[in-house]
Amino acid sequence: MYQALLTRKYLTSKIMPLLAMVAVMLSVATVLVTWSIMGGFLKVLLESGRPMVGDAVIHWPIAGFAHYDDLIERLEANDRIEAAAPMTESLGLVRLPTGQIRVVTIKGVEPDAFRRVTGFEDTIWWRPLNTPTRKDHDRDDPRLGDHPSMQFYYDNALTMTRPDPTTGDSDPAAIIGIELSGLLERTAAGIYVPQTTLRARPDGEIAVESIFMPRNGEIGLTLLALDHEGIPIDSISRRLPVANEFQSGVYEVDSGTVLVPLDWLQRQLRMDEAVKVNTKGDDIFGNYEQGPDGVLRPKPLEATGVAPARVTTVLVRGVDDATPDEIKKIIEEEVYPGFAQAHEGVPHELDILVLTWADQNATLIASVRKETGLVLFIFGIVCFTTVFLVLAIFWSMISEKTKDIGILRALGATTAGVAWLWLRYSGAIGVVGSALGLVAGYLIVTNINAIHEWLGETFGLVVWDARVYYFVEIPREMEWHKALIVGIAGVVTCLFGAALPAWRAARMRPVQALRFE
Amino acid sequence: MNMPEHAPQTDPGPLLSVRNVRKTYKLGRVSVPVLYGVDLDVARGEWVAILGASGSGKSTLLHLCGGLDRPDKAKGDTPRAHITFDGRDLTSLPGSQLDRFRSRDVGFVFQFYHLLPELTVLENVTVGAMVRTGRIGWHRERGAATARAKELLEAFGLGHRLRHRSAELSGGERQRVAIARALINEPTLLLADEPTGNLDRETGGAILDVLADLRERHGLTVLMVTHDAAVAERADRVISIVDGEIGAPSAPTLTGG
Repeated sequence: MYQALLTRKYLTSKIMPLLAMVAVMLSVATVLVTWSIMGGFLKVLLESGRPMVGDAVIHWPIAGFAHYDDLIERLEANDRIEAAAPMTESLGLVRLPTGQIRVVTIKGVEPDAFRRVTGFEDTIWWRPLNTPTRKDHDRDDPRLGDHPSMQFYYDNALTMTRPDPTTGDSDPAAIIGIELSGLLERTAAGIYVPQTTLRARPDGEIAVESIFMPRNGEIGLTLLALDHEGIPIDSISRRLPVANEFQSGVYEVDSGTVLVPLDWLQRQLRMDEAVKVNTKGDDIFGNYEQGPDGVLRPKPLEATGVAPARVTTVLVRGVDDATPDEIKKIIEEEVYPGFAQAHEGVPHELDILVLTWADQNATLIASVRKETGLVLFIFGIVCFTTVFLVLAIFWSMISEKTKDIGILRALGATTAGVAWLWLRYSGAIGVVGSALGLVAGYLIVTNINAIHEWLGETFGLVVWDARVYYFVEIPREMEWHKALIVGIAGVVTCLFGAALPAWRAARMRPVQALRFE
Repeated sequence: MNMPEHAPQTDPGPLLSVRNVRKTYKLGRVSVPVLYGVDLDVARGEWVAILGASGSGKSTLLHLCGGLDRPDKAKGDTPRAHITFDGRDLTSLPGSQLDRFRSRDVGFVFQFYHLLPELTVLENVTVGAMVRTGRIGWHRERGAATARAKELLEAFGLGHRLRHRSAELSGGERQRVAIARALINEPTLLLADEPTGNLDRETGGAILDVLADLRERHGLTVLMVTHDAAVAERADRVISIVDGEIGAPSAPTLTGG
């Protein structure tokens, strides 16, 4: 019981324990903030999948699969599945207004179905905006205000069309990732401002171009058409107006993705509905017939049926409380096998790829996880120095309190009792220091962006530059189980630090302690 | 004070018996012998003063009697040391029982008081009871121990100083707190190491009056070491110690400066 009394008295009457407490507090807060920000980064990465692809995708690359309407119907009949949408995905080359050519992923989507499965609507960048984004204090965002064009661009995005200024006809149009064109400047406030570009022309003149993609921008797409067996048929180059731009939140997607209308892409890739003909004939030398003019010409091929349109992917979104893994399981075990049995020529249930967002980005997610672990490990080592700090402080305190130890031993205190006094004392420092560290860490994490902003405005210190790191705000996620682990680690650190001094105190002979000068 | 009343002993055998006690300290590589085979008996209820010059080994002897240290082990043909308290050989007790002995049977008073500076006067006295009772026992005995501590402090004229810290007390007051702490667990033996050595003559005299009163009214056995013959003469019996050996027994009326 005397340990509790002395712990309380020592805690409130000495400066040394306060120093140890501050060391523990700083260590705990540092690790918690680091873990929360890295965890937030990972969470943002994981959660960015749903707005783009839903919960899971059914994928058969290159050749694609037919009868997808039936598959979507079967999927939407399941009460755990909210919606499904067809998509065709292909690699291609994009030629930008700046003259640059880049390899991109071209995704053909049906706007309405795509919106129901993904958060596509929310990723459309050019739209009317009433309130500025959090960091846009100067209201520099061109989307603010009542300019009617923003609603026009937004409506174009929803239909994936752009009216031709001369004919007024709505032409199929693309929606490109916001980082693709290179014609926008991303400011520190995380907004995009169109830029005038200078381009050297072949005649040596410098052309000053003012291109705003949703207004007058066009892209050139080069695609490779494949037949149903995945064999290249043709390469096609087409120009396509741009209806709008999107921001998904993942740089790789926003700098390398072009969305186009599904039927347009199916036509280009020869994946649309087609008449099947008998190309073999009966005669090895060919079948010919005499026309009305008496000239011999090849006999027209005989139509044998209709080849249904194909897509490479079906996107699936579960109900709100469904997890991606649950949806994946439902597709694999409940829906797809029935679909595969019902249709000839579609991939077998064992061959088809059913992937969640995490599956698709497993390498990126794993690397972020590893980086999180690495950063925590490094900070953990740095914070482990607290052990030595506590050790030094306790060594010094026990030297100072040697006489107290002698007095307690003279009163009959046992060696274990004396050791427990110091361990309890260090534990109390750890508990108080960790608690303060958790509170400090929580306050820092929840206000990290405000703190960062204040540092930037006051000292010009910008650690997280939205132009570099892409996310407008520092991602963060405070999880209580992490806080608990960090807090316990703080207490254990203190106990480790005090173990050796406590053992030394306990081993001290009473007479030696009483005579200590 | 709620001390056991002095009762005549049917067996007047010594409460404390010391035989062949040797003690050598190691100072680096040098061995410094302090006690050279000390024999001593202290009867129940007796007040014995050990008189000796500084460095004579008197404090070492007191520490050995109180179980704060252990005598040298027998080597060669030197006889084995024994310190017997109430029939128990302290030299063969394991550490845990020696701790128990210090918390229940013996109380220490030191020259420099050795109060815990962070604690109040009342806490300095009750801490001895806390050590004895342990965590669970303290919850049971807290009330009684606190009442007893207050009673002791009231008796020593410190009733108005309960919430004060030791730094706020005079030397005499501190020593009275130390005596109260030594008595909190109702020990049979009080070991006092130069209890007046740091006090002026008047205050020291008052402390000796307290010890005399305890011994007379409650039969407390007191073993006190001092270098001051005037202090020693307050005891029933004075034993001088010179260079680690007990000298010839002295009359209680031994005088000196």
